[in-house]
Amino acid sequence: MAKEPRPSASDRLGKPPVLAPGHTTSSVTDQISAVILRGTPRWWYFAFGFSFLLVLLLLQSLTKLFLEGTGIWGLNIPVGWGFAIINFVWWIGIGHAGTLISAILLLLRQEWRTSINRFAEAMTLFAVACAGLYPLIHVGRPWLAYWLLPYPNTMGMWPQFRSPLIWDVFAVSTYATVSLMFWYIGLIPDLATMRDRVENRWSKMVYGALAMGWRGSAHHWHNYETAYLLLAGLATPLVVSVHSVVSFDFAVGQTPGWHATIFPPYFVAGAIFAGFAMVLTLAIPLRAIFNLQDFITLRHIQNMGKVMLATGLIVAYGYMIEIFMAFYSGNQYEEFMILNRITGPYRNFWWALILCNILAPQMIWIKKVRVTPALMWIVAMFVNVGMWLERFVIVVTSLHRDFLPSSWGMYAGTKWDWATFIGTIGLFLSLLFLFVRFLPMISIFEMRTIVPKSDSEEASA
Amino acid sequence: MSAPGAARLHGLMAEFRSARSLIRACERTHEAGYRKTDAYTPYPIEEVFEALHLHRSKVPLLVLIGGILGCLGGFALCYWTSVIEYPMNIGGRPHNSWPSFIPVTFETTILVASFFAVVGMLALNGLPMPYHPVFNVKRFALASRDRYFLVIEAEDSRFDAEETRRFLASLEPTEVFDVEP
Amino acid sequence: MSLEPQRFAAPADVARLGRNALVVGAIGAAASVAGYLSDPAQFFRSYLVSWLLWLGIAAGCLAIAMLHHLSRGAWGLMIRRVLEAGSSTLPLLAILFLPIALGLTEIYPWARPDEVAHDEMLQYKTWWLTPGAFYLRAAIYLAIWSGLSFALNRLSQRQDETGDPGLFRKMQTIAAPGILIYALTATFASVDWLMSVDAHWYSSLFGVYFIGGQGLAALSFVVIMALYLAKREPMKGILGANHFHDYGKLMLAFVSLWAYFALSQFLIIWSGNLKEEVLWYKERTEHGWNIIALGLIFLHFVLPFLLLLSRDLKRRGRPLLWIALLLLVMRWVDLYWQAGPAFSPHGLTFHWLDLATLVAIGGLWFAAFSRRLARRPLLPVNDPFMEETLDHE
Repeated sequence: MAKEPRPSASDRLGKPPVLAPGHTTSSVTDQISAVILRGTPRWWYFAFGFSFLLVLLLLQSLTKLFLEGTGIWGLNIPVGWGFAIINFVWWIGIGHAGTLISAILLLLRQEWRTSINRFAEAMTLFAVACAGLYPLIHVGRPWLAYWLLPYPNTMGMWPQFRSPLIWDVFAVSTYATVSLMFWYIGLIPDLATMRDRVENRWSKMVYGALAMGWRGSAHHWHNYETAYLLLAGLATPLVVSVHSVVSFDFAVGQTPGWHATIFPPYFVAGAIFAGFAMVLTLAIPLRAIFNLQDFITLRHIQNMGKVMLATGLIVAYGYMIEIFMAFYSGNQYEEFMILNRITGPYRNFWWALILCNILAPQMIWIKKVRVTPALMWIVAMFVNVGMWLERFVIVVTSLHRDFLPSSWGMYAGTKWDWATFIGTIGLFLSLLFLFVRFLPMISIFEMRTIVPKSDSEEASA
Repeated sequence: MSAPGAARLHGLMAEFRSARSLIRACERTHEAGYRKTDAYTPYPIEEVFEALHLHRSKVPLLVLIGGILGCLGGFALCYWTSVIEYPMNIGGRPHNSWPSFIPVTFETTILVASFFAVVGMLALNGLPMPYHPVFNVKRFALASRDRYFLVIEAEDSRFDAEETRRFLASLEPTEVFDVEP
Repeated sequence: MSLEPQRFAAPADVARLGRNALVVGAIGAAASVAGYLSDPAQFFRSYLVSWLLWLGIAAGCLAIAMLHHLSRGAWGLMIRRVLEAGSSTLPLLAILFLPIALGLTEIYPWARPDEVAHDEMLQYKTWWLTPGAFYLRAAIYLAIWSGLSFALNRLSQRQDETGDPGLFRKMQTIAAPGILIYALTATFASVDWLMSVDAHWYSSLFGVYFIGGQGLAALSFVVIMALYLAKREPMKGILGANHFHDYGKLMLAFVSLWAYFALSQFLIIWSGNLKEEVLWYKERTEHGWNIIALGLIFLHFVLPFLLLLSRDLKRRGRPLLWIALLLLVMRWVDLYWQAGPAFSPHGLTFHWLDLATLVAIGGLWFAAFSRRLARRPLLPVNDPFMEETLDHE
């Protein structure tokens, strides 16, 4: 702690800093809380209003669904699993980056995580909320969705624990609960900061109640830090398990194209890939709008780009090994499935997926691309689309031509499928806009810890 | 034991400008024999914990207990429902399909351990606590910005309003405040 | 802190250890030759498993070194010389591959023409599994790994000599594609060398599992060496509890990953219950092999996992040493469990050649390793991140 400031090796080697120079504990506190304190900008009403319109579209689609049933979707036999599972996997994958940034990078002592973790965790929660919606509405009679839970009931029945779908119930609900707790615990000291900053009596009471009377006592920090690290340690295997369990939904069955042992690690890598793409998609415009370039620097964008590139390459490995094993196995159904994917009626989806997920991210090897936020944003958008296509290809091409040629068919989403999907994007954005308006989107107290100490004391003396 | 006037005080609070001066102050306070003390900082500082000689946190133990309970509970749930209460032949798999029970057991382990971490941390810290005397000091709002505070509570057996005030002043704080209860 | 390379010369003990290893290796080699003359089939089968274990350590060292170059963590600088010495033995292991090449028909069913003639699946698989293609691919894998380790070691040597701070960028330029190439080649190598002992079986996770095993073997070996060096000058007082805490955490992560891969593969195949996949597990969980399987669960995962959760055990040298040794032994058990049932499906067997070949390759390998380790200072003193790393302690 008490050490002379001197340039670290990474500074000497010309990397952009994690935090722009000149900041002090007071300046980070003031600048981040000012985003909330300076009132609502006009654009916020438009942005939130637009997102909320999409939420209304979601509500309309859901009402229609509840009244008429899943017949309004494009599901058929043989493709009995369509947009609902595609979007479920897409959303839950996006959530994974938040936990990765907040937990795994914390354990790896990566300082750069500090300015993006809060916001990435919020993104996780909202993505999980959107994801959780799909299994509930897909069960056909959503008002009976609680039958998924193990509880003593009048029918004398219990869930079937050999089914991966019940594993999913446990995995996703645990993930949502733990992410919420992790996020809230991280927020407590910042809620106290807001309580001490706001003028308005009502705001003070709300922030005060949420902060639970936090006062920054050393005794409290001591337990707090330990608990936070332990939660990070618990969240790390959890995040791996969640997408693994999602992959089990497919892999423990026997359908060619689904039954592959590589699925768990390859799904986890894909989830992190998609999640970092979404963090970049959101962080790049937000840092520009709120003038947070001092906190979310080019270093962050570069590092996130590198993680995206690495996980994207693991995903590419997954595609490659699936194709290789289909041929090595000598199993004619596996071979047919792969050829059908690449050359069959859905081949355009497959080739678009290769373009978005494998070719586009290779741009990140070029340093010029990594340090140009606009270009990184474009690459991230490619990945967002690509990961949706990946789930589409996995779900649809594996089902639409199965063992019996007489039962082959085609699948396409209906307008209600699309309306529901776009509606969840609206829900996600609405929650996000509420979050950036009312809560500190960068963890203030953690930013205080990375301020160079000697500077801050000189400045405030 | 203490001066009559001190009974209406929660304690005395000293404000510091830097973490370094707070750490020095904490060390000297501990050396002077004060035990009912607390430091307030805008972010966690390892050296302050050491200077105040805080005990090892009990949270890890709670998390371990939670993890064990969650693990046993999760497996017991799967086993009891699938083997004892509602045995059913699913695709010829054994009733005790232990490989299938691993994911649920794993999730409940994490869930209960996390609950113990969060609830345990809050309980050990005595939170939520709507009222606390330190908030009566106006400048204390800066404890969540850039100031560092040290409090010696009136309950401390060595506390004496005048002498402790002199002691705190000798630590070179920017100011010393009375903390009304 | 002064950073003269001379200060960090390897202790004389390392060279002595290498000479002893050479003697032990020579005895093992003599015993192995005797074993080959009396029972060639058994010799080749034992040799494959032993060779894969030592290869795993060397190739894993290469992979971890490349990861270190990319991530630039302090953890890696302290053990970089061990990783470099470990990976520089890859050419030796390439030479030691020759007995496997010679004993192909004793090891792999697809290499036996009479068996292929009666098996349609093996005939189909000749697009991949033929002796010629097998030799060619093995040569490619081993040449690539040797080349990568050579290139990185040479740059490291230049860094020692010139102190050019820009060299680490060149290392990164090699390491980034290097790690990709390693992952691909190691995957196909796992299919060729280990998966195809049962030529009918397939699993797309297998390559990842194999790579994870190599990483764990290398890490355990590196931890043992680090603990050995930490007791002696010049590393005494430099390698401390904080480093071992980090290595313990890394071991915990690798042990968990290994269990994750093992469980994923097992759970998917067990649930799918297709005969072309599940028979592999059936063979490995009956006739005594089930004892090995249970041993893997408890000694390769549960016990080390629980021990490594403890902060104190990670920070103290001796317990960590025992855990690392246990894991290294279990790496061999795991490889033996994967290959063995293909050779003796009707019952668990051990042969003295299993041990003899292990000692023979290990002795020679360790002699080469310690020669390399003794040749250069134990810390990469000219690395641009070195000073900072030492300051933080």
